[in-house]
Amino acid sequence: MEMAGTKSRLTWAVNLAVGFLVLLWIIPTFGLLVSSFRDRDAISTSGWWTALSASEQNVIVRADAPDNAVQNGSDWIITGNVFDTGDGTVTAFGITSREPEAFAPGEIATHAQGHEITVDQNGDYQITYREQPSGSRGQRLFVRAESPPGFTLDNYREVLFAEGMGKALLNTLTVTIPATIIPILVAAFAAYALAWMEMPGRALLIAGIVGLLVVPLQVAFIPLLKLHNNIGIGKGYLGIWLAHTGFGLPLAVFLLRNYMVGLPGEIIESARVDGASDFAIFRKIILPLSFPALASFAIFQFLWVWNDLLVAKVFLGTGEDQVVMTGRIVDLLGSRGGDWEILAASAFVSIAVPIAVFFSLQRYLVRGLLAGSVKGG
Amino acid sequence: MDQLLFAVSTIVVGVFGCVAYFYFSNIILDRMLPASGPNAGANINKANAIRPWLFVLPALLVLALYLVYPVFSTFFLSLRDTRGNFIGADNYVWLAGDDKFRESLGNNLLWLVIVPAASTFFGLISAGLTDRIKWGSVAQSLIFMPMAISFVGASVIWKFIYDYRGENQGEQIGLLNAVVESLGGDAQAWITVPFWNNLFLMVILIWIQTGFAMVILSAALKGISEETIEAAYLDGATPLQIFFKIKIPQIWGTIAVVWTTITVTVLKVFDIVFAMTNGQWGTQVLANLMYDWMFRGSPDFGRGSAIVMVIMLLVTPVMIWNISNAHKENR
Amino acid sequence: MKHVFYASAAMLALVAGTTQAQAQLKFAPGEGAFSWDSYEALKAVDLSGESISILGPWLGPDKELIESVIAYFEDATGADVEYAGSDSFEQQIVIDAEAGSPPNIAIFPQPGLAADLASKGLLAPLPAETGDWIRDNYAAGQSWVDLGTYAGADGAEALYGFFYKVDVKSLVWYVPENFEDAGYEVPQTMEELKALTDQIVADGEVPWCIGLGSGGATGWPATDWVEDMMLRINTPEDYDAWTTNELKFDDPKVIAAIEEFGAFARNDAYVSGGAGAVATTDFRDSPQGLFASPPQCYMHRQASFIPTFFPEGTEVGVDADFFYFPAYAEKDLGKPVLGAGTVWGVTSDSAGAQAFMEFLKSPIAHEIWMAQKGFLTPHKGVNTEVYTDPTVAKMNDILLNADTFRFDGSDLMPGAIGTGAFWTGMVDYAGGKDAAEVAASIQATWDSIK
Repeated sequence: MEMAGTKSRLTWAVNLAVGFLVLLWIIPTFGLLVSSFRDRDAISTSGWWTALSASEQNVIVRADAPDNAVQNGSDWIITGNVFDTGDGTVTAFGITSREPEAFAPGEIATHAQGHEITVDQNGDYQITYREQPSGSRGQRLFVRAESPPGFTLDNYREVLFAEGMGKALLNTLTVTIPATIIPILVAAFAAYALAWMEMPGRALLIAGIVGLLVVPLQVAFIPLLKLHNNIGIGKGYLGIWLAHTGFGLPLAVFLLRNYMVGLPGEIIESARVDGASDFAIFRKIILPLSFPALASFAIFQFLWVWNDLLVAKVFLGTGEDQVVMTGRIVDLLGSRGGDWEILAASAFVSIAVPIAVFFSLQRYLVRGLLAGSVKGG
Repeated sequence: MDQLLFAVSTIVVGVFGCVAYFYFSNIILDRMLPASGPNAGANINKANAIRPWLFVLPALLVLALYLVYPVFSTFFLSLRDTRGNFIGADNYVWLAGDDKFRESLGNNLLWLVIVPAASTFFGLISAGLTDRIKWGSVAQSLIFMPMAISFVGASVIWKFIYDYRGENQGEQIGLLNAVVESLGGDAQAWITVPFWNNLFLMVILIWIQTGFAMVILSAALKGISEETIEAAYLDGATPLQIFFKIKIPQIWGTIAVVWTTITVTVLKVFDIVFAMTNGQWGTQVLANLMYDWMFRGSPDFGRGSAIVMVIMLLVTPVMIWNISNAHKENR
Repeated sequence: MKHVFYASAAMLALVAGTTQAQAQLKFAPGEGAFSWDSYEALKAVDLSGESISILGPWLGPDKELIESVIAYFEDATGADVEYAGSDSFEQQIVIDAEAGSPPNIAIFPQPGLAADLASKGLLAPLPAETGDWIRDNYAAGQSWVDLGTYAGADGAEALYGFFYKVDVKSLVWYVPENFEDAGYEVPQTMEELKALTDQIVADGEVPWCIGLGSGGATGWPATDWVEDMMLRINTPEDYDAWTTNELKFDDPKVIAAIEEFGAFARNDAYVSGGAGAVATTDFRDSPQGLFASPPQCYMHRQASFIPTFFPEGTEVGVDADFFYFPAYAEKDLGKPVLGAGTVWGVTSDSAGAQAFMEFLKSPIAHEIWMAQKGFLTPHKGVNTEVYTDPTVAKMNDILLNADTFRFDGSDLMPGAIGTGAFWTGMVDYAGGKDAAEVAASIQATWDSIK
């Protein structure tokens, strides 16, 4: 009994601890998610966590132009509502920027020029002039208002239906799929040789390949593009596939070799004794057994190629048929950036596919890295 | 649609080409050095010596072309000035005397110590805990999510955390300051606070890399045999003791792999610093310094390249460690 | 494996060569106050089948605007012009030019980078008569020629850059109705501006919004302030000497200009959020304070592009307006104006590229953009009637009334200074470091790159 009590208390503690960790980890992303449904002005004036509750804010509304005043008895009046959607409650109003909350709803404020202004609780305003007014610039009304939380799908609409976005998605797939599969194939053979075949300098090769993980991509751009131009590949899909293959190989070989070294040696030895060639061993034993490791690397490579902008900018052309999604999204942001709302929405649009890939391959990811890493580096 | 067809056919052709290369090169090798006849023994030995190279050749070719060659050309560039004149080690001499470089070096060492350690630690904790609960895989997916977010998204995310509004600039839109204020503290411009701002930037990378560490470590934990743990239970060990005394020693190798991979990532960290501070307020790191010299304003490839060489030098200990590890395995 | 890839490359070429729709012309030829004769003249050039690639920093709305101009060139000559914008233009043009696959024409936001490429032999000089044309047809023509003249790979100076689209930087943005409510007048001199600043403080309000934050470029708004101040307390000759480092960065004259900026930015009472918020407030967020209720600030010094970041629906000229960042009345330095511009250079010469550069001289190339949004030009031959936006016309007046026009100094300095040490130094200064110390460290960096 004692034991069971401790256990359930422990389980509770673990659940709570995990809950806390997960919360800590998703709060930033959740903030982005909420922001992606808000408009730009809301994002830069109030915290995203306030978006879910009714907010009380000071807003400036421009009343209808004096030119549109209608005659009412001896007076000229302008009427309207301060809320775009007609939804909200006015708690105070004012007619100058110096005293934006000088009046309670329903009170009558008298402007220095003589006209009278009143704003009701429901947002209806009325401006009364003694004589016919003129001008195209309406009176500014300063309103303290409680308004319900407002969300918009416009950001997503703008990202998803931007011109050329569909084509860009296609381009991204054209880049991503071969750039994920080719390095896996090449790396698998190399990893097998480095794990299970006798060759001189093997340890040095492995270390060298791991060392290449650290090469900053920026240094590779100019020599490689020069090379592509010289041998006639130029800028295009072929070039970017090769580039991504090169940049992805070190991690691929590192992970796959670690996995393959961990495979049971007896199976391979007995196959060798039976006279199977290395090619046959690789195809019939290693590949099927390594499928989980291949899937795991596929996820990392896919994530990286999918979210890449820089390599695409360098190795692909700029034509309609070669611009990738990340490039198209950057186009939406304008020359000086700062469109946080578009950034937020596009981050979630571009996260969708990688997350789907991750979920569908998660099972393999776990198993794949399992064997590879248990053995250690 | 044409394009998709084109992509698919390329994959098929590419995959087929790869397989064909491996298949036919093997056959050719076997034909040229038949494992029968008068020289069978010698032929087998020769074939066995050559075959591994057939397997690694494509990878080595691509690596040599796409990574090794640029490294060498970088090295030669680092000995030249902006006009391409050979200037020997002048760029390195300049580096040694440059304040920003020393600042970056110090910061990078700090990053190298803290980020891999913290990511591995949090990864281990979350792996250890999520393994024990029902909704573990959901929790893992959520912690892994930052890895899938594009860099553009991540920089916006953290703007909404660290943003600072001064006294009359309206309410805080940065979560951290809102929390601090609600606890009665004073809002701060976090990314400018000397020394600590480095930590705030590291938090971002830790946030991203923990998911990676967690997934790998959780897998390793699952691989520990049940019997050892059961035995420890029966001996009266507490769950904590089991975790630290039995489980962790068994996955030590995996922890090392995670540590290495994250260390390498840290050395290349550039995006985060670039977008959050561009190395100001004492947060410069080597990779960003390199970018500044290589591509900002009037580029100086010589100096940028010299910095790259230093980055690669820093990884040498990791490489040596890997060589000795590989040797151990080869015994 | 290799020839398989070549086969794919051939397939790719087939797929690639299909699309290219002709863009729509924004204004029907022959209508309005446009100089259509220059458009008709363009039709004499036949470039059908010729394709021209242009790489520039403009994205989003700016990209649409430049494409609307390009459309006229395509329509008249039959050439196929492809404009691509990049958020990492500086990096991309360097990589492309060095690697040997540059676009035909590059649009440099800063002359420094163009000069750098020219010195490496990666830019093609413009025809000799272009210099004369600029002298004759651009206001203050010689200065534009000087700004576009760089030393080539052989060290010989030649005209490489052509300026098209100019920004005015010496502007102070404000909300006219807030000024009316408070009874403030637009200041005509720097003395008045400082008096107004103090008066606003005395009224219990905050006069300025200043934000230096800009991600990877944090600090640049401060360099504009310092440059404007340089022109207001020192002679234009000193300014020119400063941009070439003949006048050292730690010269007392420069330090005085930095401190003039500090008089505004480092005074807690003067800036919204206090001096501590200046360096981190994003420059895109900082004008928001003008439009808050009650106002968080009354004035914001920023270049002509800033209305893009005003709250949605803000109408410039009604909800917000600008005045010239005034000069000291007591100093006899006239009315200096700080500006910037984009310089176009030929990175890969071809008949099409030359024809396009020629097109940029025609009034129509300027008028199409002028008639839309935010385009200033020193071209004297354009018909300013096409301005639909009175505020832009007002900016052009500031440009034309300038006694002294000087280009953004940080853009003229070497990259390591103008887009590096100067930015960093200003951030440090805004954070409380001593001006002399900051200036000395910028000078030290400058010495190291000589």
